Amino acid sequence: MTISKEKRNLAIAGGLIGIIAIVLVLLGNPKNMGFCIACFIRDIAGGIKLQTAAPVRYVRPEIIGLVLGSFIISLVTKEFNARGGSSPMLRFCIGVMVMIGCLAFLGCPFRMVLRLSAGDLNALIGMLGFAAGIGCGSFFLAKGFSLGRSHRQAPLEGAAISAVNVILLLLVLVAPALFAFSESGPGSMHAPIIISLCAGLVVGVLAQRTRMCMAGGFRDIYLLKDATLITGFIALFIFALIMNLATGNFKLGFASQPVAHSAHIWNFLGMFVCGLGCTMLGGCPLRQLILAGEGNSDSAITVLGLLTGAAISHNFGLAGGADSVVDGVYKVGGIGTNGKVAVIACIVILLAIACVKSFAKKKED
Amino acid sequence: MEDQGNKVMVATFANHYGAMLFRKTVGTGCTLRPVPRTLSSSCGTCAFFSGPFLKDYINENLEAVYEQKDGKYIKIYEN
Repeated sequence: MTISKEKRNLAIAGGLIGIIAIVLVLLGNPKNMGFCIACFIRDIAGGIKLQTAAPVRYVRPEIIGLVLGSFIISLVTKEFNARGGSSPMLRFCIGVMVMIGCLAFLGCPFRMVLRLSAGDLNALIGMLGFAAGIGCGSFFLAKGFSLGRSHRQAPLEGAAISAVNVILLLLVLVAPALFAFSESGPGSMHAPIIISLCAGLVVGVLAQRTRMCMAGGFRDIYLLKDATLITGFIALFIFALIMNLATGNFKLGFASQPVAHSAHIWNFLGMFVCGLGCTMLGGCPLRQLILAGEGNSDSAITVLGLLTGAAISHNFGLAGGADSVVDGVYKVGGIGTNGKVAVIACIVILLAIACVKSFAKKKED
Repeated sequence: MEDQGNKVMVATFANHYGAMLFRKTVGTGCTLRPVPRTLSSSCGTCAFFSGPFLKDYINENLEAVYEQKDGKYIKIYEN
């Protein structure tokens, strides 16, 4: 009974989040990007001048809202719990690599589902890579992989990331000249700030209450044969699909999809990195933001890793470029040599960490 | 420890590895499932097993053990 109630709540939350995501696009967010944790953290990295790619600079209120929504609801329900100390440096590094993988694909698991709901079949390739990455991560979990146990910490430690987000929001409102904002490209496209913030807050509350997590959904299917967690994303897909069909935003195919490329192998491998890294971290980028709001300083460190990964991706030319039409000729985008080397390196490093933390741990026991 | 024979127990863990070790120790009749939302806001793995809860079952990643009674969970052990 409990499980079916959880599935129902997840389905309702997923449906609402899907609708909110499409409304954000209708109000100004880039196409198929009502929500994208990776893209929005990347935009914030540009907004606070950690990276200098002109088209992707904006302080996205949705991210601030997600953290604060989770923080507020966890205080109200007395679930705020300051914890941390579970391999923070490794989590930071894995966060960096997850972001490199996401930006090679051009989206996080959340946007992957939104892209799929708009008919972007490149996201299907990404999803295969994501599922394969989680399968690989689940193998290591079954072999004993763990980043170690977290411990209780002072409430201030758990609340620090929420405080940082409040300060960031106040600065954006009071002194916007401090920040960099794109004049063209995806960073220049956004819904009104108050609506973006409210959307983030609502989704933050919903995700905290339901524990929505894309990586956890696949992981539970592999390890526990349980489809509860994936229900939220299935509902998100269905409602976003209906909204996209109703608003004329559905276009089935690989070519000319908004902010997407059709370099299939790198879509697959980018999301493989994301899936493997997220399984090792215990949750997708959305889940990391929600856990950070709840007081988990390990997830807060991971979010800082994601932010740093976004800066590294753009400063060192690792991020994917969208397909484009140059002089009437369709040009497939994808990632450059730096990006390809980085994605392969991320896979090797993640597998090395997973092996050490699985098999070395077993030896100790 | 009061008699907990044949009662439905739920153990929560810091990570999946702890849950696997626990299942190995308890043996048959122990199944791993997602943690019920009422017990935790984490999306981790828990173990359902029949009582009694023995101290031999404890591992370093065990967080808490609950007894399921009338659809509610009563905490009987915290690590």
